[in-house]
Amino acid sequence: MSVQPAIAAPERFPPLPDAEPSRRRSRLPFSPWHLFLAPLAAIMLVPFIWMVIVSLETRQQATSFPPQLIPSSLHFSNYSAAWNAVPFGRFFINSLLYSLATVAGNLLFCSLAGYAFARIRFFGRDVLFVVLLATLMVPFQVILIPTFLIVKQIGLVDSIGGLIMPNLCSAFGIFMLRQFFRTLPIELEEAARIDGTSRLGILFKIVLPLSLPALATLGIIQFMWSWNDFLWPLIIIDSQAHDTLQLGLSQFQGSHFTQWNLLMAATVMSQIPMLLVFLFAQRWFIRSVAFTGIK
Amino acid sequence: MPGVTLESVTKRFPGGAVAVDDLSLEIADGEFMILVGSSGCGKTTALRMIAGLERPTAGAIQIGDRVVNEVSARDRDIAMVFQNYALYPHMTVARNLAYPLRQRRVPRSEVARRVGEVAEMLGLEQLMRRRPGQLSGGQRQRVAMGRALVREPEVFLLDEPLSNLDAKLRVQMRAALKRLHGRLGVTTVYVTHDQVEAMTLGDRIAVMSDGRLQQLGAPQDVYDRPDNVFVAGFIGSPPMNLLRGRVRSGQATAGDLVVPASGVPDQDVYVGVRPESLRPAVNGMPSLAFEVAVVEPLGDEVIVHGTVGAELFEVAPEESEAALLSGNGERAEAVACLAPRDRPQEGSVIRLGVEPGEVHLFDAATGLAIR
Amino acid sequence: MTASGIAVSPRPSLLKRLAASDHLAGWAFVAPAVILIAVFALIPIGWSLLLSLQSTNLIAPAHYVGLANYRALTKDPAFRSAIGHTLVYTVLFVPISVAGALGIAVALNRRIRGIRFYRVAVFVPLVTSTVATGIIFLWLLDPTFGLVNYVLHLLGLPQQQFLQDPNQALYCIVVMTVWSWLGFDVIIYLAALQGIPEDLLEASEMDGASRWATFRSIVLPLLGPATLFIVVWSTINALQLFDEIYVTTRGGPLGSTTVIVYYLYQQAFQFFNGGYGAAIAYVLFLGILIVTLLQLWIGRRRVYYSS
Repeated sequence: MSVQPAIAAPERFPPLPDAEPSRRRSRLPFSPWHLFLAPLAAIMLVPFIWMVIVSLETRQQATSFPPQLIPSSLHFSNYSAAWNAVPFGRFFINSLLYSLATVAGNLLFCSLAGYAFARIRFFGRDVLFVVLLATLMVPFQVILIPTFLIVKQIGLVDSIGGLIMPNLCSAFGIFMLRQFFRTLPIELEEAARIDGTSRLGILFKIVLPLSLPALATLGIIQFMWSWNDFLWPLIIIDSQAHDTLQLGLSQFQGSHFTQWNLLMAATVMSQIPMLLVFLFAQRWFIRSVAFTGIK
Repeated sequence: MPGVTLESVTKRFPGGAVAVDDLSLEIADGEFMILVGSSGCGKTTALRMIAGLERPTAGAIQIGDRVVNEVSARDRDIAMVFQNYALYPHMTVARNLAYPLRQRRVPRSEVARRVGEVAEMLGLEQLMRRRPGQLSGGQRQRVAMGRALVREPEVFLLDEPLSNLDAKLRVQMRAALKRLHGRLGVTTVYVTHDQVEAMTLGDRIAVMSDGRLQQLGAPQDVYDRPDNVFVAGFIGSPPMNLLRGRVRSGQATAGDLVVPASGVPDQDVYVGVRPESLRPAVNGMPSLAFEVAVVEPLGDEVIVHGTVGAELFEVAPEESEAALLSGNGERAEAVACLAPRDRPQEGSVIRLGVEPGEVHLFDAATGLAIR
Repeated sequence: MTASGIAVSPRPSLLKRLAASDHLAGWAFVAPAVILIAVFALIPIGWSLLLSLQSTNLIAPAHYVGLANYRALTKDPAFRSAIGHTLVYTVLFVPISVAGALGIAVALNRRIRGIRFYRVAVFVPLVTSTVATGIIFLWLLDPTFGLVNYVLHLLGLPQQQFLQDPNQALYCIVVMTVWSWLGFDVIIYLAALQGIPEDLLEASEMDGASRWATFRSIVLPLLGPATLFIVVWSTINALQLFDEIYVTTRGGPLGSTTVIVYYLYQQAFQFFNGGYGAAIAYVLFLGILIVTLLQLWIGRRRVYYSS
């Protein structure tokens, strides 16, 4: 029977090699899963790596066979050439305006509506909610043509405004925020009501500050959706000056499709913003996507 | 039916945390052994190592006479009841019970027979078609036990199986467990933080703290003769009063309590007196003045909280479990359990005495019992 | 009215006022959203139905033709082949996506070194736009200088025409879109895998199950809801395929990659048959609805939900 003093004995174990938390000690210096994951990562990333390589080659190199793995010289001039061939700066700004405006619109209008559906009892609330939700079931192509006609009636065809207007508020956002608001403890809002704060004040001073994760998620989803949107800009925009980045890229492809080096440079430039945002905000992205699954 | 032996078993996690520190334990064949201690003491880790869910960093684990360190959990012929039951939520009770047998390719007829037997033993016949989500806590617990029983394993492991049940159910299940063990006689290792469960269920209990074994013995022995202050303060409810005191010339003094301590050299000590050992002082008995603060009548006994005098000395290093001591200055908080007829007035000062044989002395520096 | 004759606001009226303000407030809050969604979703849904019953070139005023558009659709061989292409695509895209995502998610659900790098790598294609993906794959699959043909060349295999071959183009699109969208499904599966309590897996191990048996009997069933979601979501998206077709093949070669939405685009915005396009859209809508409901119905009976 071993009896130990209650007081801790001095450390008398020599440092042990860190044992793996898993129970199986593999015979290889690395986990066998790497054999599957490494090729997978390669498949996912090689196209992009290649894109960058081609963007730095000359036109002949880009279309040579066999493909050149390492360009003999780096032609960064491709980037400036592509940038100047079409107004990429303009495209970028248009995309930015489109994305930011839709994010702002969604955050604002969906918050207002979501809060009302979550917390205010008003006539026709539940029926209205179901009707709004039902719009999510209808694929975009169904409303594509009439939406175009409506925007045409308003006179906003071929403008950023026309691009933005139909996407200022989505039923998805309303649904998401309503669900989230309902999880917040109602006591905080009730206390504020008793103190005489208006409903609007409660929303902006109490509820929204507590809802930053949900707002961030919605913002990211909407931003990504708008930034990469293609079909709607394709339909609504006519003149090059109003092209979004994706649309501009597509038209650049049309006009320069044999100049692969320039085309790749253009593609790289157009993807960098989103990639950067993704790399910096990985966790938010993944959360956002996971969220759409959980709903 | 084999026993389980742990020989100098240590578990060190990456990052440096030592969960189990040189634990040696021999569990006899058919014995009901309880690992008890507060959270983080290493008892669950020790259990999981026996199960094969964790691998020891050092030391050997034997089941019977087979060293099983390298044997995977599924091949150890051990069944475990998890703290949260771990019932398969998408399977009916019947399928949950049958699962371990199906995995080992037991023939259908045998599966049906054993499942039926276990269901009857645990009163689950009416629940066979339900899913875990439709069961109450107690029912789920029984299904978890059934799933372990159905395998007729060599060793049972139970990880705090009663902690998620309400108090009344817990009492019932304790008795049921005891009956079950009596009937089946399977070697059982049971982990709990509840010392009442430990005292009532175990053949022997192993008190653990900080990954180390503090004391091993039959419940009554551990209660009567704790080896150190930790065990003294852990076993018994309300916990033992540990008063700072000193031994001078064969007498131990703690405040105004004076107890003979022949043969004990002069030193600083903790004087341990269980609340139930304190009773109204009678002539000739060592006694102390007890200032009553709060009286809690429980029906069959009265718990009295108050303060007594205590010696002043430097308390041992922070690790000392004598952090059970509270109070500063010259008075220490203490608790007494008295009979209802001896119930004192709040605010009064009463004289309580204790039999010298029921006083425990502990070395203040090491915390070890002085015998 | 009190005895002294001074008017005091009686309780009920105060309540009524508050309640009224609630109604007002509620509607005020939802007003912007309702207006926007009414104008840009609800009205278009109805108008689209009307359009499908009309003939219009989107510029001159339309005139009613009843069900003529729908009747024409049933006799339209181009539409039928569009449906065929879409179905072939969907039937390939969905199972491959689901199985692939599951395998990858299982692989990514480890605590090995560099796992974060692998996770990011899998998600990168998801972040890039469909246009970029199309351009990249046009280059990769180019019959003359594409990387894939180069690899085939190295392996001694014959060169392929890929996107320029009517028999191969659609399958190339499948590969391209699977590559592009896998990350989304992987995220869903990963989240679901991580939601499975560890002690269920341990219990299964203690019950004597091999790792594969645990996967089959415990993990897979518990992934049911995620699988159902991915199947439904992937199917809906597959049936609506457009962007990638536009960027790469424009429906060719020889119309082999003309899917339903691309056909719609051609009809409405290239040939200016607005009503016909609307009819196609509604048929598509109906198809999606039926398929989704079917999947949900099957799923309801076979998927376990922990509620």
